[in-house]
Amino acid sequence: MIFVKFDRRIFKHFDWTLLALVLSICGIGILNIYSTGASVIDAPVAPYIKQIQWVLLGLLFMIIAFLIDYRVINQFAYIIYGASILLLLVVAVFGYASHGAQRWLDLGVVTIQPSEMMKLTLIIALARYFDDHKSMEPYRLRELFIPFLIVMLPFALILKQPDLGTGLMLLMICSSMVIFVGMNWKSMLIALAGVLSLVPIMWQFLKDYQKERLLTFLYPENDPLGAGYHILQSIIAIGSGGFFGKGYLQGSQTQLKFLPEQQTDFVFSVFAEEWGFIGGLILVMLFMSLMIWGFKIALHSKDLLGTILAFGITVLIVWQVFINMGMVLGLVPVVGIPLPFLSYGGSAMVSLLAAIGLLMNVSVRRFILQR
Amino acid sequence: MENQCSLRNGPEPSEFRQKLKIVMMVGMLALGLLLVRLWYLQVIKGDELRQRSENNAVRFRTIQPLRGLIMDRNGMVLVDNRPSFDILYMPGRGQNHDRVLERIKTIYKTKSLESSIDPSLFKAIRPYLPVRLEKNVGMEKVALIETNALDLPGVYVDITPVRLYLDGEMIAPIIGYTGEISKEELEKSAGEYSSGDILGKAGLERVLDAHIRGRRGAELVEVNVFGKEIKNLGSIDPVPGANVVLTIDANLQKAAWEAFHGLAGSAVVLNPQNGAILAMVSAPSYDPNVFNSGIPFEEWQKLLSNPLNPLSNRSISGQYPPGSTYKLVVAAAALEEGIVTPETKIFCNGTFDLGNRTYRCWKREGHGSVDLHRALVVSCDVYFYTLGKMLGVDKIAHYARMFGFGELTGIDLHHERKGLVPTKEWKQSRLREPWHMGETISISIGQGFNLSTPLQLASAYSALANGGTLWRPRLVERIEWPDNKIFGQYPPVKNGELQLNKQTIAFLQKALHAAVNSPGGTGGAARIPHVEVCGKTGTSQVIALPPTEKLIRDRKISAFHKDHALFIGFAPLKNPEIVVAVIAEHAGSGGAVAAPIAKKILQAYFDGKSATKRPDFALRRLSDGEDPEEKQKSVPYR
Repeated sequence: MIFVKFDRRIFKHFDWTLLALVLSICGIGILNIYSTGASVIDAPVAPYIKQIQWVLLGLLFMIIAFLIDYRVINQFAYIIYGASILLLLVVAVFGYASHGAQRWLDLGVVTIQPSEMMKLTLIIALARYFDDHKSMEPYRLRELFIPFLIVMLPFALILKQPDLGTGLMLLMICSSMVIFVGMNWKSMLIALAGVLSLVPIMWQFLKDYQKERLLTFLYPENDPLGAGYHILQSIIAIGSGGFFGKGYLQGSQTQLKFLPEQQTDFVFSVFAEEWGFIGGLILVMLFMSLMIWGFKIALHSKDLLGTILAFGITVLIVWQVFINMGMVLGLVPVVGIPLPFLSYGGSAMVSLLAAIGLLMNVSVRRFILQR
Repeated sequence: MENQCSLRNGPEPSEFRQKLKIVMMVGMLALGLLLVRLWYLQVIKGDELRQRSENNAVRFRTIQPLRGLIMDRNGMVLVDNRPSFDILYMPGRGQNHDRVLERIKTIYKTKSLESSIDPSLFKAIRPYLPVRLEKNVGMEKVALIETNALDLPGVYVDITPVRLYLDGEMIAPIIGYTGEISKEELEKSAGEYSSGDILGKAGLERVLDAHIRGRRGAELVEVNVFGKEIKNLGSIDPVPGANVVLTIDANLQKAAWEAFHGLAGSAVVLNPQNGAILAMVSAPSYDPNVFNSGIPFEEWQKLLSNPLNPLSNRSISGQYPPGSTYKLVVAAAALEEGIVTPETKIFCNGTFDLGNRTYRCWKREGHGSVDLHRALVVSCDVYFYTLGKMLGVDKIAHYARMFGFGELTGIDLHHERKGLVPTKEWKQSRLREPWHMGETISISIGQGFNLSTPLQLASAYSALANGGTLWRPRLVERIEWPDNKIFGQYPPVKNGELQLNKQTIAFLQKALHAAVNSPGGTGGAARIPHVEVCGKTGTSQVIALPPTEKLIRDRKISAFHKDHALFIGFAPLKNPEIVVAVIAEHAGSGGAVAAPIAKKILQAYFDGKSATKRPDFALRRLSDGEDPEEKQKSVPYR
C-alpha cells in the first residue's frame, strides 16, 4: 500500500496546461456570475463573491485529490461510494426542499447538494469495479450486473428528489464508461431493448413539470407561455448577442430578467448575449481543449485504472457541457444540468474541481509509474 | 501495490487508443454542432433576434388572481377585493431619472398632491427593470399620470387586486390579513408561490390560503423599451379563488363588537346544537386593510407594542382564570361523585377555615344555609370551597377535562391555546412542589392555576346546554367555487360526550336558569323578557387581594389589576339555540359588566330572529339549521 508519498517528480511533471484551462473557464464563470448578479440588489453576499469562495474551496479539494495517489483513492472507492449513497439517503429523509425538489442538505454553514458529488463518486466506483474485473473479452450482460446496481441505486434516489437531469447524467456516464471498457454487441442490443421498453414505465414516474418540459421540447408551439418561454427567451438572448455581443453588463435580456435561472442552468445564455459569437467560440474552444487534453491523459495513462478514471471524468464534463449548451440553444430538452465551472453552485464547483484534481493525478503519475 | 503490471490482464492499450480516437471525434463533432447552432442564432438570425430583444421585447407577466370572497352565513360579503393602483417606472437607457422624478413632483403640485416616492429608489436603478414608485395611490394621481404620459417616459400605472375588508376591525382577529410573500415564506413554499404573490398572513386568510388564493394567470405581451404594451401575444386567465361561507352571522358579530365598546375582552357566540360559531369578538382589534400595501414600519411597531395586544385573538389565545363560571364543573363533579345531593345544605357565614388560613366568600356577611341549587344561583364561594375540599383537585380535573378544558377545541385557526387544568402530578412535574390543599380551595372557584380560553368556556357550556355533546367549534360552513358549486362542506364534528347523568345535566341547566331569572341570582342583568336565558357569572381575580380591601379596591387599584368580568350563558332553556361567553378584561364584576354585554348579544340574536322570517330561497339556502334535510345531515348523532 502506497500512502501519500511526496515525490518531487509530481511537481516537475505537474500538468500546468490542465490547470490553466480550468482556471480560465472558472474565471470566465466568475465574471459572468458578476453580470447576472448586477441587477440583484438585496442579496446578503453577492453571488460572485460566493462563487469565488467556492472556487477557492474547490482548489483545496483539487490539491487533495491530486496529492493522494489515485491507486490509493481506488482502495477506498467503495467506501467513498457508500458515503455518497448515505448522504443521498440523508437528503431523502432530512433534506431541505426548495423549488419543489428535495435536493439540499443544510449543514448550518452551507447547504450541500450530494447528487452533484454522486457524479464523481460513481466514476470512482465504476473504475474500481472494472479495474478489479479486467477481461480480455467484451463484457456480457451478466458481468455488468454489479455496475448496473452501482448506478441504479443513486439513480433511483436522485429521481425521487426529483432531479431528472442529474439522474439521466448518471446513466449517461455509466453507459459511456461501459461502452468504453467494452461491451458485447449482443448484450448491448439486449440492454438497449430493455431500456426502450422501460421508457413508458419511466414516463409514469415523471413529475408533471418534467413531462411538460419534454413535451414542450417536442412541440414548443403548444406552450409559448410555460416551459417553452424559457427556451424562447434563451434563444432571443443568445441571438441578440450577435457576432460581437452586447458588451459586458449590457445584456438587456439578462439585466431585464427575461432570462430564467440565469445563474444556474441558463448561465450560457447570459454569456452569449453579452460576449456574442466570439465569446461563445472561445468558451466552446476552451471546453474542447479540455476534452482533448482529458482524453490524452486517458490515453497516456500507464494503467487501466488511470485510463478509466480519466475517461470517466472527461466524459462527465463533456456530457454536461453538451447537454447544458444544447438546452439553452434549443437543441436538447430543458433538463436541469448545470454548465461545468460556469453555473452558480458550490457542490458542483467543488466536486468538479476535485475531479480535475484526480485527472491531474492520473496525468502526473504516468511519469512516475513503471509499466 | 500488487498491480504493478496493471494492463497485463486487461485489453490491449491499442484498443483503447482506437476507441479514444473515435470518442474524441464524436466529442468534437458534438461541440462543433453547438458552434454551428451558435453561428446560426447569433450571426444568421442575429439581427432579427436583436430586434426582438432591443426594440420590442416579449415580456412574460403574471396576473394576480382574485382571492375568494369571504361571506357570513347569510351571504353578506365580509371580505371583498378592490383594485390597487401602483405607479411604476421603467428606466430605459439614457433617460434622466432625476428629471422624471422632478416632473412627477411638478405634475402632482398642480393639484397640490404630495409625492411619497422614496428618492433612494433611484439610486439602485438598473435599465429596463421596473421600479414600483408608489403603491396604492388615489384616482387623482392615476389621472394625472395617465394624462401626462407623454411627458413621463417610462412611467405607467399598474393595477393589482388587493383585499378590501368591510367593517374589518370587528372581525379582523378571525379573518386575519394578507400581504406580499416574504423571503422566508418563499423559500419554504416548495414552488407553489412565486415572488410578488399575495398570501394570507394570519387568521382564516392564512388557514384557507390554498383554497381562496386562486391561480396565477400569465400573459405574454410585446412591450417597447418603455415598458408600454404594444401587443398581447396570448394569455392564461387567472383563476379566482374559491369563496368561503362562514358560520358567522355578521349582524350578531356587529352587535357583539359594539357591545364591547371601549373594553378589552372577548365574546364567543355559538350554536350549541352543532358548534357553529355565530360571532367571535376580540377587542381591541386592528384594521386589516392597512396590511394590503405593506404596513408602514411605525404602525407595525405600534401594533406590536400595544400592551392590549390587538393582534391576538383573545377568544382562542387568551387564557383566563374562569372564576365562578367554573363552579358548574365542580357542581357536576360533586353530584356525579355522590358527595352531595341537590338537597344538601351547607351553612355559609362568609368564611371558610382551612388550617390556619381563612378563605372568604365574595359576600362578606355570608349566604346563610344554602343548598346546591341556591349556591349556584347566588354563586356562594363557601359552598364550593367545601365541595372542593371533599373532591380533591384530581377529581375536579377529571370533570374539567370532560368539559373540554385543558385541551384544544380544534377550531380551524392557528394559535389556539390549551389553557390549564391543574392536577397534583402536573404541579409536581412542572413546579417540583407538592400540592397544597389551599390550592384546591382556589381551584374550586375557578381561581389559582386554572386557565381557560373563552372558546373553551363557550364550548363547555354548549355541551351542558344541548344535553351533553361537545361539538368542535367551527368557523367555516362551506367553501364554494365562484359559480356557487360546492367545493367543500364542513359538517359538525363531535369532540366528545359528557359522561354525566341526565338528572345532573337537567339540575345544572335549571340552576343556571335560576341564576339569571330568580331573585338574588347573580346573572340578573342578562335577563330578557319572554326568553328563558340561563347563565353563570364569574369574576376572576387578577391579583390576590385580602378581602378586607375588597370594598375600596375599585378606586385604589390601577386598571390592569381590576378583575376580569365573565358571563357564560345560553338560551332558551329548552332546545337552546345560542351560547354566549363574554370576558371583559379588568372591567369589574361579572354580574355588573359581563352579563349586560351578553344580554345585548342575546337580545340582538332574538330580535334578528323575529325580524327575518326567511325572506327568500337564496338566503334560506345560505343559512343552515332550518332546512330539515340539512339539519339531519349536520347533526348525525342526535
